[in-house]
Amino acid sequence: MTAITTVPAQAALTRPTARPRGLATWATLARRRIMLSAHTPREILAPLVTPLLFALVIAPALAKMIPGGGGYSTFVIVGTVGLLIPLTCTFAGIGVIVDRASGARRELLAAPIPRSLIVLGNMAVAVAVSLLQVTVLIAAGRLRGSHFHVTAAGAAWFAGAVLAFTVFMYAVAEILANRIPTQEEYVGLTPVVAILPWFLAGSLFPITALPGWLAAVARALPTTHTLALLRYGVLSRGGAGLHDIWGLHSTTTDAALSLLVLAGWAVLLTAASIRVFNRSAVN
Amino acid sequence: MSARLHAVSDGTRPAVEVARLRKTYPGGIEAVRGIDFQVAPGEVFGLLGPNGAGKSTTIGMLTTTIKPTGGSARLAGFDVARDPVAARSVSSVVFQEPVVDKALTGRRNLELHARLWGTPASAAARRITELAASFGLAEVLGRTVDSFSGGQRRRLEIARALVSEPQVLFLDEPTVGLDTRIRYELLDLIGGLRGRTGMTTVLTTHYLDEAERLCDRIAVMSQGTIVALDRPAALLAGLGTELVELRVDHDPAGALAAMRAHRLAGGDAFAVGSTLTVPVHGSPAQDTVAALTGLGIHAAAVTTRKPTLDDVYLQLTGSKLAA
Repeated sequence: MTAITTVPAQAALTRPTARPRGLATWATLARRRIMLSAHTPREILAPLVTPLLFALVIAPALAKMIPGGGGYSTFVIVGTVGLLIPLTCTFAGIGVIVDRASGARRELLAAPIPRSLIVLGNMAVAVAVSLLQVTVLIAAGRLRGSHFHVTAAGAAWFAGAVLAFTVFMYAVAEILANRIPTQEEYVGLTPVVAILPWFLAGSLFPITALPGWLAAVARALPTTHTLALLRYGVLSRGGAGLHDIWGLHSTTTDAALSLLVLAGWAVLLTAASIRVFNRSAVN
Repeated sequence: MSARLHAVSDGTRPAVEVARLRKTYPGGIEAVRGIDFQVAPGEVFGLLGPNGAGKSTTIGMLTTTIKPTGGSARLAGFDVARDPVAARSVSSVVFQEPVVDKALTGRRNLELHARLWGTPASAAARRITELAASFGLAEVLGRTVDSFSGGQRRRLEIARALVSEPQVLFLDEPTVGLDTRIRYELLDLIGGLRGRTGMTTVLTTHYLDEAERLCDRIAVMSQGTIVALDRPAALLAGLGTELVELRVDHDPAGALAAMRAHRLAGGDAFAVGSTLTVPVHGSPAQDTVAALTGLGIHAAAVTTRKPTLDDVYLQLTGSKLAA
């Protein structure tokens, strides 16, 4: 082997090292995701089509099939949240695959930032888009004649459920996007992950209408807890769904337990998604 | 700023310190087998080697995208395993494959990099203007990257890596896949980086002319180890002043053995396929050519020439018959 030589220092390492702050970095990563996925009018308006369609057309049409079904329209509109959020989060996961396939993820991995923020930055945008969709859904439903019974406490239950469920669903999407090698395979899973649970979770009918064993499955689904909490939050006498899950005497206790379940899933899956991302990105 | 960040300002610490660095992948594949080297501040250091030599794994460990399984590596004093965020804060990478967001404008890409590296907005704006001007990107910076030509895109990648004024710049095969004209343009551009505020550069490449032109020192890697590390001129000197190259279609191994037996070839002669390369020390190369006829070696072609870095590289990494 040729002798190892050293070269005398030609320049000193004198520059101070700037390092980005956590919150600013998080905002930068979220801003990047917004610029990539919601920077044209079409990209902003497209996610609003589904909530508008459900609130203005589908829910009222379903309600017409039931005598005196005005309340059913509101029931379905709230239930639609259980479809919108999983679809939005699942499609947001495609951005993770695109970043990986295009090479852009390597730039993020080389940045002097905690890598968990890459996941959390994407999650922030999924939460923002979901909140926008839910707001449009409820507002359009109200315009179409749905009656919501909103109190401060009810709004808090509603907001907490939306937030926890969105975080949970995005974490699921992030995990799948990092585990599944191709975009085609990932998209193929969307119906199973985002749509199938919605039918079982009390979106169109109470879970007690399901066969006993399927009702037991439904009680374990985060979507079921979410929809029950949402209806408890904004519908008068909306605690029936919670009672169907827990069967306790206190609806507030039922709601607290469901929110605890959702928050637990959200925290657990977020931690898992960060771990999966790191394992997928760093050999 | 923490005391650890002040540790880089003594002016004597190597910019890159690698000690017994090792990577064994699951399944027992030893990609890097305990390598050592140091790179001084301001130095341009080349990592050469064939595919599978361990260059990319080494760069991956230095840029903290691959976890070492042994040894240590430091960038400007920061351990890549113990303090990866700090190590990344003093470095930038130009990857072999494009990593810019093609849907965003060139300017947005540069701004994003600056933000992620914590560069103050005013400084970032000034640097972006300077880099765009010096890299010939000022006219196109407001366009989305998917409308850039291949050369513009590559220049943008390098400009992006420089926005944060890294102390250590990694260039991972920066010209691979580019046409010749763009490649030479980029070589000029990379060569011009040398004077930029004492930045240290670690370059991997397959192109030996690039390494010879750009690097102060070169490490040649083969099978996970460094088999040579020196200045390009010193590496070339090891092969003498002249060499004889023969193409032997039948039994090149036998031909090389015969030449060695008659002291026409030394231990540094090597064969790659049907081509024998014989460094000549102390006598004119024509004497060796003349002596070949007496050995019964039927060479399809014989030439004499000065050694190049290609010969060093082939001797160290591809000399399967020379052992």
